Amino acid sequence: MRSQNEFSYGGDATVKRPELGKEISDQDWDNFVYNRKSLRGKHWELWQHLSGCRQWIKIQRDTATHEIFKTLKANEEIS
Amino acid sequence: MQKYSVFSLVKNAFSNHENWDLAWKDPTPKKEYDVVIIGGGGHGLATAYYLAKEHNINNVAIIEKGWIGGGNVGRNTTIIRSNYMHDDNALFSEFGMDLWRRMSQDLNYNVMFSPRGIINLAHSDAQMNTYARRGNSMRLNGIDAVLLNREQVREIIPMADFSENVRFPIFGGLMQPSAGTARHDAVAWGYARQADSMGVDIIQNCEVIGFDVSAGKINGVRTSRGDIKAKKIGLCVAGSTNILAEKLNMTLPIETHLLQACVSEPVKPVLDNVVTFGAGHFYISQSDKGEMVMGGDLDGYNSYAQRGNLPTLQHVLTEGIAMMPFLSKLKMLRTWGGIMDMSMDGSPIIDKTHIEGLYLNCGWCYGGFKATPASGWTFAHTIAQDRVHDLNAGYSLNRFNTGHLLDEKGLGTKTWIS
Amino acid sequence: MTQSFRIENGGLINRDKKISFKFNGKNFFGYEGDTLASALIANGVHLIGRSFKYHRPRGFFGAGVDEPYAIVQLYRNGETEPNIKATEQELFQGLEAKSVNCWPSVNFDVGAINNLLKMFLPAGFYYKTFMWPKSFWYKIYEPFIRKAAGLGTASIKHDKERYEHKYEYCDLLITGSGPSGLASAYSAAKNGAKVILAEDKSRFGGTLLTSEVNIGNQSGKEWADSIISELKEMPNVTVKNRSQVFGYYDHNMLVMSERISDHLPKTKKFHPKQRLWYIRAKEVLISSGSIERPIVFGNNDTPGVMLSSAAKEYMKVYGVLVGRKPLVFTNNDSGYETAIEFKKNGIDPIILDTRKEPQSEIIEEAKSMNINIKNSYVVVAAKGYKKVKSADIAKISDDKEELGLIENIDCDCICVSGFWTPTIHLASQSGNKTKFNEDIDAFVPGISKQNEKTLGAANGIYTLEETLKDSFEKGNLLSKKITNNDNKISFPNVVEKKSTVHDKFWCVPLPKGKNYKRFLDFQNDVAVSDIEIALKEGYRSIEHVKRYTTLGMATDQGKTSNLNGLQLVSKIENKVVPSVGHTTFRPPYSPISIGAIVGREVGKHSKPTRKSPMHSWHEKNNAVFVDAGVWLRPRYYKRGNENLFEASKREAKNVRKNVGVCDVTTLGKIDIKGPDAAELLNRVYTNAWLKLPVGKARYGVMLREDGIVMDDGTTTRISENHYHMTTTTAQAANVLSHLEYYLQIVWPELNVNVVSTTEQWAGAAIAGPKSRDVLKKLFPLVDVSNEGLPFMGYVESELFGAKARIFRISFSGELAYEVNVESDNGNFMWEKILEVGEEFEIQPYGTEALSTLRIEMGHVAGSELDGRTIPYDNSLEGLVSKKKDFIGKRSLLREAFTAEDRQKVVGVVPLDKKTSIPEGSHLVKDSKATLPNPKLGYISASCWSVEYDNPFSLAILKDGKNMIGKKLFVMSPLKNKIIPVEIVSSHYVDPKGERVRS
Repeated sequence: MRSQNEFSYGGDATVKRPELGKEISDQDWDNFVYNRKSLRGKHWELWQHLSGCRQWIKIQRDTATHEIFKTLKANEEIS
Repeated sequence: MQKYSVFSLVKNAFSNHENWDLAWKDPTPKKEYDVVIIGGGGHGLATAYYLAKEHNINNVAIIEKGWIGGGNVGRNTTIIRSNYMHDDNALFSEFGMDLWRRMSQDLNYNVMFSPRGIINLAHSDAQMNTYARRGNSMRLNGIDAVLLNREQVREIIPMADFSENVRFPIFGGLMQPSAGTARHDAVAWGYARQADSMGVDIIQNCEVIGFDVSAGKINGVRTSRGDIKAKKIGLCVAGSTNILAEKLNMTLPIETHLLQACVSEPVKPVLDNVVTFGAGHFYISQSDKGEMVMGGDLDGYNSYAQRGNLPTLQHVLTEGIAMMPFLSKLKMLRTWGGIMDMSMDGSPIIDKTHIEGLYLNCGWCYGGFKATPASGWTFAHTIAQDRVHDLNAGYSLNRFNTGHLLDEKGLGTKTWIS
Repeated sequence: MTQSFRIENGGLINRDKKISFKFNGKNFFGYEGDTLASALIANGVHLIGRSFKYHRPRGFFGAGVDEPYAIVQLYRNGETEPNIKATEQELFQGLEAKSVNCWPSVNFDVGAINNLLKMFLPAGFYYKTFMWPKSFWYKIYEPFIRKAAGLGTASIKHDKERYEHKYEYCDLLITGSGPSGLASAYSAAKNGAKVILAEDKSRFGGTLLTSEVNIGNQSGKEWADSIISELKEMPNVTVKNRSQVFGYYDHNMLVMSERISDHLPKTKKFHPKQRLWYIRAKEVLISSGSIERPIVFGNNDTPGVMLSSAAKEYMKVYGVLVGRKPLVFTNNDSGYETAIEFKKNGIDPIILDTRKEPQSEIIEEAKSMNINIKNSYVVVAAKGYKKVKSADIAKISDDKEELGLIENIDCDCICVSGFWTPTIHLASQSGNKTKFNEDIDAFVPGISKQNEKTLGAANGIYTLEETLKDSFEKGNLLSKKITNNDNKISFPNVVEKKSTVHDKFWCVPLPKGKNYKRFLDFQNDVAVSDIEIALKEGYRSIEHVKRYTTLGMATDQGKTSNLNGLQLVSKIENKVVPSVGHTTFRPPYSPISIGAIVGREVGKHSKPTRKSPMHSWHEKNNAVFVDAGVWLRPRYYKRGNENLFEASKREAKNVRKNVGVCDVTTLGKIDIKGPDAAELLNRVYTNAWLKLPVGKARYGVMLREDGIVMDDGTTTRISENHYHMTTTTAQAANVLSHLEYYLQIVWPELNVNVVSTTEQWAGAAIAGPKSRDVLKKLFPLVDVSNEGLPFMGYVESELFGAKARIFRISFSGELAYEVNVESDNGNFMWEKILEVGEEFEIQPYGTEALSTLRIEMGHVAGSELDGRTIPYDNSLEGLVSKKKDFIGKRSLLREAFTAEDRQKVVGVVPLDKKTSIPEGSHLVKDSKATLPNPKLGYISASCWSVEYDNPFSLAILKDGKNMIGKKLFVMSPLKNKIIPVEIVSSHYVDPKGERVRS
């Protein structure tokens, strides 16, 4: 178990960056850059082990209780 | 309505304080209102008050999930200021300053607005320049601002760290003398009492379950206390905005985050002003009760928990001691957390929406309390007239699409980085 | 003074060690092991302070952390601390303390006038008045209220004490060393679990120190002593006294403050005053016990009224009598223990028991000792001002509504017991939803949210046998889960005389015609009548009640008042207590020193300081440093009496004329390797990167996804698949994280590795027309001619034997090179450069000269790239590829970013060519316009152009493209300046960029 201080938050992990070079509507672009669901309850999010191995990981955490349910490596897809 | 004054206080004293009226009633919701305001926080209560007072719309309900004033108006650090760089923020806030100055008399409720001045400390020449940019902008907008050098700061707050043993020496600071603090709960209660007296129904313990929208129009709201019809509904629920937006199938440029604050034990007056640290995020003032009221960084991850963790407070208080070493010997008495609507450019949204009759007031980040009167006033205007006022024109929802951003800090969309 | 209230024998104090101390200037004596409170009581002192609002006399109410009254100003080792609870402060030689919140003295306090005016000062009175005339609030009312605020006085001296932090893991953390804590710790320890047992007080044992029980063939205290000494010997157990677990955070992280030196006259050398423990526990057993509840009656705040358990503790632990004519007022058996203890010490107590016909072993014992017991009796009001002199008592009806005839009896103290309130703070902080237990009229923990269990009294279990049994079991069970050991402990036989039968009675009705203040919150002066007003006015939610009346918001955080407040609200509102609900418990359990929370990161160490390998050279050569983030950089090198302006001008001039050298170690450096490295750069930067040859550098700009410039810098292709990226000092960490994010999350298919090399390389920029001459001397074997090493070229070589990288890049706009060597050789490089450069009149230059050089060349930097500008604003649109996509490109299409009159960087020169333009000023068309005066742009950076010898600034100006040649005003109202200026190109010097290519 590592201290919270070693990690830095990276936001909603379900937001997918649009493919490079692809035409995209204003709405879709805004959804990527700005719009977030940010709901109460289970939330998939990115964290980086900044003062550590520098890996980005995906964490499913409860935004109401801070309980952590699952973790995934950066390259693992959220199912 | 009973008028509060020293005379009423004396009069009631002789009747054993048994004849005080209810500050606000506890009505059952009617089937329909002209306007329903969702959220009985400072902004919602103020909006209802200004709807009644400025626009003669009295058939209004405020519906509140818990108890009024239980959100951020009751869990902030009570700072009131208009020291903004961007014109939209500055002019909006300065309009609010004027409402603050009159608030106790307007509401016949002493909200203890206390213009004790705010000082933003600078720790390098570069920072002095950044502050000068903001301060000059304020002055050109007709807002008071003074650039203080190190010695002038020392005169005002000698207890700040002017020693050799300091990591970030104080170079000076930007002061807004007219900024200050107010008694936060009183603001909510004062607005509630007046709104109630003008016919507004304050409905507590009433949770929104869903909305009635058809053909692009809002028709009403479904609540835990039954359906309520209204052609106009204002959303005023900072901290829960994302939850209600989901019920409306809207996704907003807002994330919900946790901000902690704390107070020390009460001590005799030692600090007159609100002071902010420039080499990090820490702010402090001393309440009329003597407690040091302190805050700083977000906990830094999406959260709806009104409880934070100690590392963030440790970090914040570290900056506190770096700024004012004497704090080390005080004791932390109470901590609490508030849920913030962090918008993607750090500025709020007060606007109409794509749904006719649905109005949005959200995204206040850390700055909601000071905005209470101006937010209520402009939101009431937007709802009553079905168009934004000049004062909140910049707070549009589509600015994220057009790029007319109001980013005071230049931090962009990573709202959790402060 | 003699210790006239000290009992001849007994107590746990060390009578061999007399300790002298001062209170309010008077000398007293106590014993080692006393608290300030017990020592004062031993000396007959009961007037300690004044209350917050009415300035009523305050004495002692409890004997520990729950104390609402006895707050003092402490003086220790030349320092002073406010708001110390006398009941918690251990006595030390030379201790000095003073009363707070009174003037001129605690005996004669002018503020007590508020007590006479109290009828005019009900709950919330300040919301209703002080509003007229308007200006009076600011000038008269508020300053007056403020003066009255606060308790003690903060010293504004810097804290000389040291505070430390410790991080610890354990299997079981047990909070409290009473019967449940000891039993559970013992059985867990026997199973080999790693146990931390924390006790807030100086003595272990909790209630076992004072209760009349037997465990096995030992008294409670003997049993506690034996368990503790055994635990102390076990290697898997850490036992800590003076240690309070005050916060229960997420993921079973608890925080404990250990008071190491507060009980000593001064902190020992190399010792901290306090130590903060961050403890990650697998399981937490909350054994924090319970706090006795007062019964509310008239003038129940008079000094001499105190908790019955406190009176007993003063006798049994400290050998001190709280009075000689005690009245014990109880609704349960606890009061009897106190009465019996009085009797054993030769004092005749009177017991007023609200119960009609209570029966238990202990009552029988009291009767057999001839203690005067009055059943169905209550205290109606205490009499006396600075100390209890007598009490009005009366019989009470069975329904507890009607009072009988009032009688007055003499007494000098009233010991109250209204049963017990479990200390559920930690459980509640952990997220446990508490539930109301009707049997004990109090909240107890409900279903566990984290790995916590609550034991004994804290869980509402008030019999010793049940407590021990449950605690042994839980300790065994939880440790067994972790260690797989199962060492059963034989359960001792327990003898306890108390029963738990009590009256559900907590507030004595007012007698007819009397309007006594009946206090709930003793520090904040919140009385029953205040709650009644709040409810009458519609402040009905318990949170509204708390906020309107300030109930429970004092420094004792309502430990003795909250539950009674709830009972009152539920009674008036006719609701059951659980539906009224309690306010949220949040850390800390009791006030915690801010110094302890912060630890060692104070003064110079509040943030790290980063220094380049050449730092000591700079220091020796009169560098004046500037903070650049956490780095220290030379701002200028002072010669003689030069000031900043003169020195930086000299340094910059020398670069333009000869050659200068600047420490650029702080720039962020990132090593990028892999077959897809070029592709990564091509996606990250706005310009094209796929065709950069090996041995070449290129300038690049990177954006955030929202189109705003994030950073700029040069990246060099070291070899086929190896690039060296530089970032600005400020953004170094963010850029690395940014790259890692895209590589790991967005484009994991790219085969690239990135790593920070900022610390690995020391960098020196050598700039000026004579820089090539210096290079030749440094690298005699390298062809540094314009052909051999052209602009944006790169070679590797050795600098007098040290591996070196040579980049021909320029920030100053002059012919310039940047040399990197491994950090260990940094100082060597630096000295060599200055040595060989001497004949070319080389001078080191600092960040100020660097700024001047870049400003007059129109190179943008941090003050323009401020997180709000796009490439166009910085005249970097030429670097924005139209062909390829890159991070943030889509955002550049937005309306505001493509507006015709979009802001753009320009140059600004004062018309008089003399007046310096302050940075942070704004540009306006009309300097006399009415406010708000529309702003067209702002001055981002200013310098004194060494090329033209006049002031020059950069500005970000609306429609900058079309403003060249226009005349505007620079306004700085803060500095009272209005300067007429002309807008010029931002490239003030060498606009064609010929020098860098020369």
